[in-house]
Amino acid sequence: MRVELEKVRFAYGPVTILDRFSARFPSMNVTVLLGPSGCGKTTILNILAGLQIPQEGIVRVGDRSPLDVKVGYIFQDVRLIPWLTVKRNLDLVLPRVVPKEERLHRIRSVMQLVGLEHALSLFPDQLSGGMYRRVGMARAYLFDPDIYLMDESFQGLDPPLKFQLLLMFQQLRSTSPKTTIFVTHDIEEALLVGDEILLLSPIPTRIVHILRNPVPVEERVPGNQEIAKLEGELFALFRKEQLQLGKERV
Amino acid sequence: MPSLEGKRSLLIIRIASLFSFLLIWKLASQWMDSSIILPSPEDTLKETWALLLTRGFYQSLGATLLRGITGFFLSMLLGLCVGILAGKSYILREFFRPFLTSIQSTPVLAIILLALIWFPTETVPVFVAFLMGFPIITTNVVEGILAVDRRLIEMTRVFRIEAWKRALYVVLPSILPYLVGGASSALGLSWRVVVASEVLSQPILGIGTGMQEAKLRLETARVFAWTLAALVLSYSTESIFRGVVKRLKRLA
Repeated sequence: MRVELEKVRFAYGPVTILDRFSARFPSMNVTVLLGPSGCGKTTILNILAGLQIPQEGIVRVGDRSPLDVKVGYIFQDVRLIPWLTVKRNLDLVLPRVVPKEERLHRIRSVMQLVGLEHALSLFPDQLSGGMYRRVGMARAYLFDPDIYLMDESFQGLDPPLKFQLLLMFQQLRSTSPKTTIFVTHDIEEALLVGDEILLLSPIPTRIVHILRNPVPVEERVPGNQEIAKLEGELFALFRKEQLQLGKERV
Repeated sequence: MPSLEGKRSLLIIRIASLFSFLLIWKLASQWMDSSIILPSPEDTLKETWALLLTRGFYQSLGATLLRGITGFFLSMLLGLCVGILAGKSYILREFFRPFLTSIQSTPVLAIILLALIWFPTETVPVFVAFLMGFPIITTNVVEGILAVDRRLIEMTRVFRIEAWKRALYVVLPSILPYLVGGASSALGLSWRVVVASEVLSQPILGIGTGMQEAKLRLETARVFAWTLAALVLSYSTESIFRGVVKRLKRLA
């Protein structure tokens, strides 16, 4: 499902975040929005999820409005209901028509996919940071959405755990390929995940550079030489943009 | 949770506190040497026993109980509705604020006297209990609604979780501690204001009516006995309420 933003304007009071911002996110691809903190990446995701309504412009998901589309949003802070067990948290996103046995079967299958079949009866505060994020991914997957939105989903995790979750993400993606928009400010993470990377400027947000990732999915691992080379190039562009901004502010 | 040893110490402290209170009471009554001003604890106990053997006592207790419970439930019902609406809308919140503050700041006696002018005798205690409980419940529910995690509400919207599930699993657990706190205060207050209203409005049956009649006959020990009845009523309803809340929490 193709996702499009056309001449979108969004402001928080006097602060303009998006000003006639346009972007296209190709169907089935993972598009990464890469940019510094506070550049409006999460605002773009919130607009696509229907949580924020732009003051101007058009938002299209396929040929529908974002409010008619099922969005699997993996929030930065995951947002599990703290007083419900993992199982009850997951059960909430299943439609009412699914019978009881089928519900449990689906929940167990998805938890098996993320390697957490033993954690169904735990409460969110009994999960480690990595487990918590995996439950967030499982919930979005279980929802069977039309598109995925991922907001800094691996931020703050130690490198081995981050890599483990990246592999899990690739595995989930291979079983159910969907258009995915992934937000990060980590260049290496962007290159490991993204088929296409949109480098964003600070607010008001604009696309500074578009990079189509030439590295095949199965070769996107930390330490890959081509990834390291692209990381250097992107970092230079990132830095140039920051310096430019610094000069404009001076 | 205190250990068994801790529980035993607590019991000893409480018994010691009760006995000290009775001793002070006994000494004071001996010093005053007038059962009209301050009857002794044993006279009060005798009078209470005599009261317990009359049918009128239970009828009065039942009437007061019914009035208090009715006023409390009315304040819960309306307080919950207004609290939810005011919690969700800034305009309604600001609209209700002056009313709630005024009611809370008005002396209870003023409200009872006005209610005596406006309503029949039997209705006065119910109205006063309702009016005193309503602002407490409303403000607590408003606080609870404002404390609901907006991020969880957004999550339920994104994942298309049905409205009733959102209310049951996100909103209700968030407002429950505030609601329980408010209801507990309102319930405790309702017995005090119901008895005070009965003293002034003099319905046919009621703890307050019994108190006032005993006072007119200068039967101070009986006034004490009725006071004891009011205390027991307040304490037992509070315990029942706590038990229900505990059970509900366990069920949830």
